[in-house]
Parts: sequence; C-alpha cells; structure tokens
Amino acid sequence: MVEKWESALVLVGHGSTLNPDSSAPTFQHADEIGRRELFAEVYCAFWKEEPSLREVLRMVESDDIYIVPNFISEGYFTETIIPRELELTGPVTRRSGKVIKYCEPVGNDPRMVDLLLRRAQDAAPNVPREKTSLLIVGHGTSLNQKSAEAAQQQVRVIREKRLYAEVTEAYMEEPPFIADWRKNTSQRHVVVVPFFIADGLHSYQDIPVLLGIESDRTAAASQQEIFRRNPYNMDGRELYYASAIGTEPLMADVILDTVARFDRRHLCDVAA
Amino acid sequence: MIKDELARLITDGYNALGELGFAESSTGYRLYHWADRNSLNQARIYRSPKDAREIAKYDSSGAYRPLKGVPNLPRGWVLELPNINDLKTALDFFYPGAVATWLAFREGKAQPVCLRQTLNRQTGMYRVTGKLTDDQAQSLVKEACRSDSRCLRTILWGIEADHPPDFLPASKSDPTVDQTGQSRTTLPFLCLEACNLLVAAARTTVKKSSR
Ligand code: SF4
Repeated sequence: MVEKWESALVLVGHGSTLNPDSSAPTFQHADEIGRRELFAEVYCAFWKEEPSLREVLRMVESDDIYIVPNFISEGYFTETIIPRELELTGPVTRRSGKVIKYCEPVGNDPRMVDLLLRRAQDAAPNVPREKTSLLIVGHGTSLNQKSAEAAQQQVRVIREKRLYAEVTEAYMEEPPFIADWRKNTSQRHVVVVPFFIADGLHSYQDIPVLLGIESDRTAAASQQEIFRRNPYNMDGRELYYASAIGTEPLMADVILDTVARFDRRHLCDVAA
Repeated sequence: MIKDELARLITDGYNALGELGFAESSTGYRLYHWADRNSLNQARIYRSPKDAREIAKYDSSGAYRPLKGVPNLPRGWVLELPNINDLKTALDFFYPGAVATWLAFREGKAQPVCLRQTLNRQTGMYRVTGKLTDDQAQSLVKEACRSDSRCLRTILWGIEADHPPDFLPASKSDPTVDQTGQSRTTLPFLCLEACNLLVAAARTTVKKSSR
C-alpha cells in the first residue's frame, strides 16, 4: 500500500468552462484518496478551472510532491501543457527545496482494460458476447496522436482475451470514424464504451450524435438519459452505450498504483 | 503552515475575502456570504468544507461558475466548521489558492507574470494570442476583469514585463483595496497571472480582428 504521510498528491484534470461535471471525477478520486489519509495533502488542479496549474503548487506545503495527470493517455496535455504550466524539467524536478515527481497519466495503468470491460458488462449485462461487437471509442486527433495509440492498445489486449466476437476502435476526429460504426462492426449487438476520463460533452453530446442515437446535441439536463435508454434498436442492430470509465471507484486505486509505479521506476533519479 | 498564518490573520482582525465573511465562533469558525452577515439565523447550515465546493459551483440562477472570482456567489448558507484547517479548505473551494498566493506574494516567493509572457508561452489553439496588440489587451482586461461584475481579483501584472498595470483604475491593482467596494478588513485576493479564461478571451479577440 502507498503510504506517503510527508508527501502531497496533486491530481491534474482538464476541467471545463462549460460543463460543470467535467471536474467531478477528478474531485471524486481526490476525495476518496484524502479519506484514506495516505498523503499529507491532496489537491486537484485544472487547465480550464481553478485552482489552475499555475497556482496549485503555491497551495502545496509538503516538500515531496507527486503530480498525477487524470488523463486517458500521453499526449498534448501530459507532454506539453502540464510540464510547461508547472515548469517541470522531467520526471523529477527540484525547485526551491521541493522535489516534484511527474507521474504517468492514469490511462497507462494496466487495469484500464478491466475498467473498460466492466463498463461494457454494466451497460449490456445480458448480451451474448459471442454475438457482440465491442467498440472502444476515443478522441483521436492530429494534435494528440497518442490518444488513438492508447485506445488501440486497449483493443489489442481485450481482443486477446477472446470474450467478444469482435473488438474494434473508432474515433471522433480520425478514421475509423465513430459515425461509420455500422460499416465497421459485424455483429448484431454492439456495445460502445468511451475511452474517456469524464462523461463530458464528448460522451454526452458529441458521440451520441455520431452514433446516431441522438439527432441533436442534447441539453446538459438530460445527460443520464443517454445511458438509461439502452439498447438502441437501429437498422436491425442493437446498440448499447456505456458511460466513461473515469468515474469508476476503482480509479482511486489506479491513481495510487500510478504513484507506486513512479517510485519503482525513478528510485535512482530521486535518490540522486 | 498556511492554516496557522490564516488563524493569526483572523486574530488580527481580517474577516473577509472576496464576497465571503468569516469569524471565530463558539464551536470553531463560521463562513458565510458577507451580504448575509446580519441574517445568518435564516441561512441553511452546512458542516463540511466540501459543501463549499458545491455552493461555489453554481450562481443563484443555477448557472455554472467556472471562474471563481466572479462576484455572483449564491447567498443563504452558512458553514459551521470545527477548526482552522476546515476553514482553509473551504476558502480554497470558494477562492482556490487565494490565501496561499497572498502569503507567498507577501513573503516575496511569488511574483506577477506579465501578460506577454503568459500569451507567448501558449501553444496549440492559443498560440495566436501572441498577436494580441497592446491596445486590444488593455481594452480586453479592462472589460473582462472588472471588479463590479467580472472578477474580484486584484491584478498585479502588466501587459509588458516590469510595467505596472497602469491602464487599469488604480484601485484594481492595489491589494489593500476591497474590490467589492465596501472598505472591509479583507484578505487580498490576487491575480498574479492572466487566467485561462482571459487567454481564451484573447484568442477570441485576435480571431475576430483577423477576420
Ligand atoms: S485574469 Fe485574473 S483578474 Fe482577470 S478574470 Fe482571470 S483571474 Fe480574474
């Protein structure tokens, strides 16, 4: 078990100026880890909300600080924005008597596969899996090549488990596109699981429109409706839409594992 | 520690921050909307600092408040907190980092960062903000950060390095001035660097003017 009574944990989320639920999973996991009293301090920081990445380190009083990005993959945010805004020089940054340890994004944790499978199971508990396509949907963007790579990696691992007749991926911003799911899946039952941290605007609004289960970008008020209406019967197919994995209670353990993994990998850098 | 310094400041008479008022009580500390200070017996009582996060999330019309410095905190609640640590946590949910930033600035451990430096650091969709002209920057900040309706923080950064924000009303960059316009003994609520909302607004300005 991770016990860091003299260290601080800073969970970094994207946050949003439009969607009040965007930061909820990050706060949820910070609350849970805080409740376990494993760290001296636990804070959240955001790119689009407060506390900002620029001010959070002023709030932290411990000299030993773990930064964990609550992001699904390496990419623009973890490689450019977070290091730049926090003025990090690498996995270990020493500044004004403090040691700042920059961990991998939570999405790199091997348990992501279990979380995706659990979401698929929850959304469609009774489908015959040997007659079902599992579609993992990610963001995918030219700015963030690795978000697609991360989704592909999940797909590969799940495919090897041979639980579903077919396991495949689709993206919002690059091919194979989500909108082409009919063409790109072969089975009568299709379970769609977003590989996203939060049920933000993408998973409530954009993806349902791309899948064709919503005609218009829905109002924030009807968000939960999307998941309650499963299955969607379309063109002789039965589609089940799952919520994002980021709100899984197990994510708190994934965050703690991410810290433990950092310690194992960077023991020598820190001791130097 | 920050909480000890906060306790000392309260003993010294500080009793306000932004739209908030606070005081020692028989059971610990009491935190409320300053405008409710004479009607706290009608306010709904909360006891966890985490309630502050939910209270600060929406304004009285139910609209989301992504920028915490906007003077539109809802009223009609009071937080009864057992100790200084919970008060500090609650203050950080209402005005994230405000107390820590003030203390760091006072000790010379945090300096303002000029707008140019913030904009020139941007990448991706915000890189264009580097094209914001001085005139555009001045009008934008005057409007987007005004204390009467947009943000209660005191701006200590200028447009260029080593230039004070002298294009703003003097009161907007004076940490001793109560930005709510009521001369309270208030903890300074500083803006040491343009926030992401202002950077996003700068992008909109540049995009509009290049059309
Ligand atoms: S730049 Fe500073 S003063 Fe202006 S809105 Fe953002 S936080 Fe408030």
